[in-house]
Amino acid sequence: MKLLERYPWLRRWETLLFVILCAAVFINISLSEHYFNIDNLANIFHLSIEKAFVVLVMALVIINGEIDLSVASVMGLSASVLAYEFEKGASLESAISYAMLAGLACGLANGFFVAYLNIPSLVVTLAGLIAYRGAARILLEDRSVGNFPEWFTSFALDDVYVSIPTLLFVLVGLILIGTLVYQFTNLRQAVEEGAAFRFRKPGPVGLVLITVLAAVLVYMLALSSGAFEATTYVFAVLYLISLGILQFTNFGRYIYVIGNNRAGAEYAGLRVKQVKMTIFVMSALMAAFAGLMYAARVGNIRANAAEGFELDIITIVLLGGVSIFGGTGTMVGVGLSLLVVLNLRNGMSLRNINDNTRASVIGALLILSVLIPNWAQTIQRFLPRTLSGDNLTLDLENKEARESTETA
Amino acid sequence: MNKLRFLILVTVILAVILPGVSAQDGDPIVAEPGQELNMVLLPKTLGNAVFDQAHEGAMEAHEELENPGELIFNAPTPDNAIPGQIEIIESAITQEVDAIMISANDYEQLLPSTQSAMEAGITVVTWDSPVAPEGEALFIAQVDFDETGQVMADMALSILGEEGGEFAILSATPDASNQNAWIEALQTVLEEDDTYEALELVDIVYGNDDPDDSYNEALGLIDSYPDLQLIMAPTTVGIAAAAKAMFDEGLCSEIAVSGLGLPAEMQEFTELGCAPQFALWSFTDLGYLTYYVTYLLATGAMEAEEGVTFEAGRMGTYTIEADPTREDALRVLMGPFSVYTEENIDEWAMDEEEMDEEEGEGDEEGEMEEEATEESDAG
Repeated sequence: MKLLERYPWLRRWETLLFVILCAAVFINISLSEHYFNIDNLANIFHLSIEKAFVVLVMALVIINGEIDLSVASVMGLSASVLAYEFEKGASLESAISYAMLAGLACGLANGFFVAYLNIPSLVVTLAGLIAYRGAARILLEDRSVGNFPEWFTSFALDDVYVSIPTLLFVLVGLILIGTLVYQFTNLRQAVEEGAAFRFRKPGPVGLVLITVLAAVLVYMLALSSGAFEATTYVFAVLYLISLGILQFTNFGRYIYVIGNNRAGAEYAGLRVKQVKMTIFVMSALMAAFAGLMYAARVGNIRANAAEGFELDIITIVLLGGVSIFGGTGTMVGVGLSLLVVLNLRNGMSLRNINDNTRASVIGALLILSVLIPNWAQTIQRFLPRTLSGDNLTLDLENKEARESTETA
Repeated sequence: MNKLRFLILVTVILAVILPGVSAQDGDPIVAEPGQELNMVLLPKTLGNAVFDQAHEGAMEAHEELENPGELIFNAPTPDNAIPGQIEIIESAITQEVDAIMISANDYEQLLPSTQSAMEAGITVVTWDSPVAPEGEALFIAQVDFDETGQVMADMALSILGEEGGEFAILSATPDASNQNAWIEALQTVLEEDDTYEALELVDIVYGNDDPDDSYNEALGLIDSYPDLQLIMAPTTVGIAAAAKAMFDEGLCSEIAVSGLGLPAEMQEFTELGCAPQFALWSFTDLGYLTYYVTYLLATGAMEAEEGVTFEAGRMGTYTIEADPTREDALRVLMGPFSVYTEENIDEWAMDEEEMDEEEGEGDEEGEMEEEATEESDAG
């Protein structure tokens, strides 16, 4: 218990996820000789990359206290619009822009009903799930459209070779972006005042951890040349961007605040409607993009593309420690949960364990993700000394909410 | 110089022609048992009885050929059909298996995966439902796809009689390549042959090989077409669900159900008159034959070339031929159909159960196979 008091991060959900991830990786390595093979590590992402894209924005949606069930249908619709336009003889470039426009339209519709007409997002996006899929079926009926140009499919299928100059270029770019973010967001304020971002000077354990992670990252990058598809790198960049948006910008703080206490945020003068609208548009645009990537990967589209993906996506977000009621959760947790789910899937797939069993395992994990914190709370209620410590996260978020309402 | 060129030319021509000649004229290629191959049997979905039968057939051949390697049976759930199959193929490539036997959920979407499997040196054979020719070595066709259309048209005619009537099709998924080919063949027969003039195909609906969906689609058909007299379901899941729907609604005397079904699943409905006639081939044999062909190809004993003749254990001799239904594709045709009615369903349903126990060594089976061989030779 003293240990827990001394290192509050030990109590965080992310820590448990990290432990689960390590266990999963360890079990995978010991059970399959093929697991720790660079091509397989690339496959882990490659085979679920479209879901991974949408997970990023779904986290923002759920933290904001809403849900978007329509993402898989938007993916299907954008892919179908692409296929339909392409089939009619449009160039692929214009077909892509039509597909993204379709995504934009879906997002605007979802956002309008939720934000401005105050209809619960569960209902709005359930309707979207049905309607957008219907639209896709109207466009393509029973046909399948393929034969997309090489450059399009190779984006999702071909391995990227990373040369040292590109690596340097990317590094410089990241540093530049980092500096810009630091200058023009509240990151500096956050770091200096320790306000919104719960970042503190890492202790010795943290330092070792960061060093190890950095080493692994560099090692992976060097190894990854010629193994990973371009989409995986795009995902890595998008992950960093969404991490930045959620944890370091004012917009990210509004998302938390509104998710925590919508009425309070409104009284404080936050533009709740605009934030919700933006989030739903982001969600649909990301889904549309993911739909295009799905088309590129399988090279052939029918109206049922990506059907049922929404449940996997929401599962990963919730497992990442994002509360279904909104207000809590971090991008780190979501990233870890994504890794846990993908690694478990991959490991079971390498052992030829079938879909039914895999679904049960992921389902059990999701239930545990809700039960464990509840149990922890119940146990701690009987241990008065740690009571205040247990509420730490909650306190911080309330504090954060107060602060951001004050600043606004 | 000219002589040299001529000699080279002759050598090249001989080199090209001779293996083909020897393969055609020589004795059928026989598998040499005991070679180690890890093979994946990948049907369309989990939880479909016919695919379990195919698995049994493959296991029978696996034991017969004394393959010390592993026979892996894996498939996606229906809601994850295409991405699931892609994932299993990619995982098989990672595991460096020697051969994959696929019943494909889509004609094109699996191509990138099956092609990269072939690049990795894995033998890819399709059965039950093919992928495009560039993504497979060859296809084991259960029956001739055109024949399926003919058989369905004949069953419809014999159920509806000379005066004909309205009928609808309840298929599997909209993208199942085998069902689509059969339906197309049926439509061609209806259009081109005057005998079937009185049969009117009013609609095609899709139950996604899901019992619930298929049941509901069947009910939907009754509502949409009051004059409907027959539901033709070219899928074992669909026909059972449709027959159950008609039985539950008490409509068996008005609307008949027919198509492709498993005797063991359909026996009750056939005896009750809900499904007076249906047809199928043996999936156990299909799995057995598929395993034999794949084993021969993966061990290098046989090349996937037109005209090559080989022996497939208890099922006799087969020949690789050009697939008349698909361009530039090769197939091995198993055939033929058995049509089940009230008179013969009893013994067939029983046979099937016995077969499960005895691993299919009845005399009747043997006769069936001889027939099969004759027909495939003729066709």
